[in-house]
Amino acid sequence: MSQFNFPSIQETKELSDLRLEVRMFLSKAIQNNEFKPSPDAWVFSADPEFSKKIGAQGWLGMSFPKKYGGHERTALERYIVTEELLASGAPVAAHWIADRQSGSQILRFGTEEQKKLIIPKITCGECYFAIGMSEPDSGSDLASVKTKATKINDGWNLEGRKIWSTGAHLSNYMIVLARTSPALKDNRHEGLSQFLVDLSLPNISINGIEDMTGQKHFNETLFDNVILKKDALLGEEGKGWSQVVGELALERSGPERFLSHFTLLDAFIGEFRNVLLKSGSNLIGKIIAELQTLRRMSFSVASMLQNSQSPETQAAFVKELGNKFEKTMVESLRELSDIIPLHQWPSLLQNLFEDATLRIPSNSLRGGTTEIMKGIIARQLGLR
Amino acid sequence: MINELDIILETSSKIFSKYITHELRYDFNNNPSLMKLWTDIEEQGLTKIIVKEEFLGSALPFTSILPVIQMSAKMGVPLPFTETIICNYLFSELNLEPPTGMITFALDTQNIKISNNKISGDLLSVPYLNLTNKIILVQEIDGVKHFIFIENKNGSLKNKKNFLSEPRFDLNIKDCEILNIQKLSLDINFNHIGSIVRSAQMVGSMEKVINLSIDYCSQRVQFGRSLSKFQAIQHQISEMAVELAASNAALSSLKITNKTMPKLDDIAILKIRTGIAAGKLIAISHQVHGAMGFTKEYELSYFTKNLNSWRNDFGNESYWQNILGKNFLEKTNLSLWEYLTN
Repeated sequence: MSQFNFPSIQETKELSDLRLEVRMFLSKAIQNNEFKPSPDAWVFSADPEFSKKIGAQGWLGMSFPKKYGGHERTALERYIVTEELLASGAPVAAHWIADRQSGSQILRFGTEEQKKLIIPKITCGECYFAIGMSEPDSGSDLASVKTKATKINDGWNLEGRKIWSTGAHLSNYMIVLARTSPALKDNRHEGLSQFLVDLSLPNISINGIEDMTGQKHFNETLFDNVILKKDALLGEEGKGWSQVVGELALERSGPERFLSHFTLLDAFIGEFRNVLLKSGSNLIGKIIAELQTLRRMSFSVASMLQNSQSPETQAAFVKELGNKFEKTMVESLRELSDIIPLHQWPSLLQNLFEDATLRIPSNSLRGGTTEIMKGIIARQLGLR
Repeated sequence: MINELDIILETSSKIFSKYITHELRYDFNNNPSLMKLWTDIEEQGLTKIIVKEEFLGSALPFTSILPVIQMSAKMGVPLPFTETIICNYLFSELNLEPPTGMITFALDTQNIKISNNKISGDLLSVPYLNLTNKIILVQEIDGVKHFIFIENKNGSLKNKKNFLSEPRFDLNIKDCEILNIQKLSLDINFNHIGSIVRSAQMVGSMEKVINLSIDYCSQRVQFGRSLSKFQAIQHQISEMAVELAASNAALSSLKITNKTMPKLDDIAILKIRTGIAAGKLIAISHQVHGAMGFTKEYELSYFTKNLNSWRNDFGNESYWQNILGKNFLEKTNLSLWEYLTN
């Protein structure tokens, strides 16, 4: 059961120095009103100007090769930077997906030309990506996607519909999972391929979907016979499933799975520290124990990624535990409203709390549901 | 050092599996196999892994004992193995020669009176007094913690009737001779040591509890298929795995701080996290086992009862949460993020 092991990784002096450097940069940016800390900012708060500033600092595409504009730093260094960005509630949504998973996917599977064209722009914070996995009829059952890419003379014809694509309206590209040959009877994972789709091409329409909080961050993206060049195929034809599985390990294991609402926790403690000292230390102690354990697990997964391991199961552990932690965290702060009634909280804090409460149901949906995470774990345990 | 530890783990596993049966776990009365098991354990030096060389120990750093303790709990060793290791460690750290044989400790004391090198009072929740009468207790005298070593001769024993699968006793002693008494320096914190080893024992037991659950659900057939094929069951077992993974992460973060004793925060986090996990595993493992898990004949309850007992020893989750929460909240110059990343 080695998937249960999360070897402990120490934060070295160099990493702590990097952490402080990022922290100083961010606190200066807050002081200069360059951004207001917000909750769930990696999904909801996009600011291309800010993304460019982060890129200029060398904090995007950190582990990418230098010849494509990357910085050849470690996955652990990237981890430190992402943690600081999340904890400060910085507006990172524009570049988040490109930096987290799409860039790595192109570096692993893309053509030389694609790497030269796209990777430098990602590292500058100028090129953004959306995820093209879910469809109106394919959510958790990803292998059932119906979007189809058909070979034509000198390329592909793409036809279908993707949904819940966060940030597609701001993005330059979408990596689309599509069927390139019919599913085999006993293996539906065959015949899927990934495509690197330039969203400025003709016959693509992107329509925003208002979520229950009233914001439009996700979209439905329609591909109505979009003509793709031959090299839009990302990786190997028919190997889309195994490529997607690797991408999901990057998507699921990061600190955004438990730091999405850290800004709320931080503001709450800032406001009510004295009250908590009198009657809330039990609760805060529990939060610290859970959060610190999650940080260690996620950091450990970063080192597995660094060592080219495939921590898909460990990523599922982090996501499942992280989602659960955030839900209970928000709920426990609510329980403290017996001491300080909600309507007496400062309005900024009330807003953060209401945002968190409204958004929290999406935590355990996006990036794979709780049920899918448990299924992955059960498979590793030999139960299915 | 890594190799030495691997060899120790292999030796331990061999010795444990040579003797241990489930029946043995409930045979408290000097069963010959149990005594042979103990002789082997002592002969292989397993009770002196973290004892100094001058007392014929292996002199490994404190945290290297944790994988061994974890394994002994996973295999359900029904002896005061962990207790003896800890007592020997205290002797050694105080530059005293550890006695041979099993030693146990009192988790708590009441009404202690000491005069003329004699001690009277109540020793509470002392494990394995059926197998040994050598006891260590840590007692505060004039605000200073003291290490006291006694051999119980004619104290009155009360077998505790609670959820424990390990035998435990309350002991009332009258004018019992003190064999050794020493001031404990501040860097030896009995409560911290106890919390760490109980957490390691919990992690070991939880591994066993999950293995038992997987095996049982794979074999048990209902409605024409094995229980493990039901998604409801799969998800329950996955939930146990998630909790174990978190406990493992908390434990392995101690294992690398080899040189000194782990920090207060890390100990608190470990005891809280494993305590929470243990609570969930007890409930879920019994649920998926059905009535079979509720019998004494089947192994599961031996391990879940131990989990129940260990999560309450040396401070339960609430106790440590309060300490951890206060420790942060009182540092008013630090934000939570600064505290977490410190």
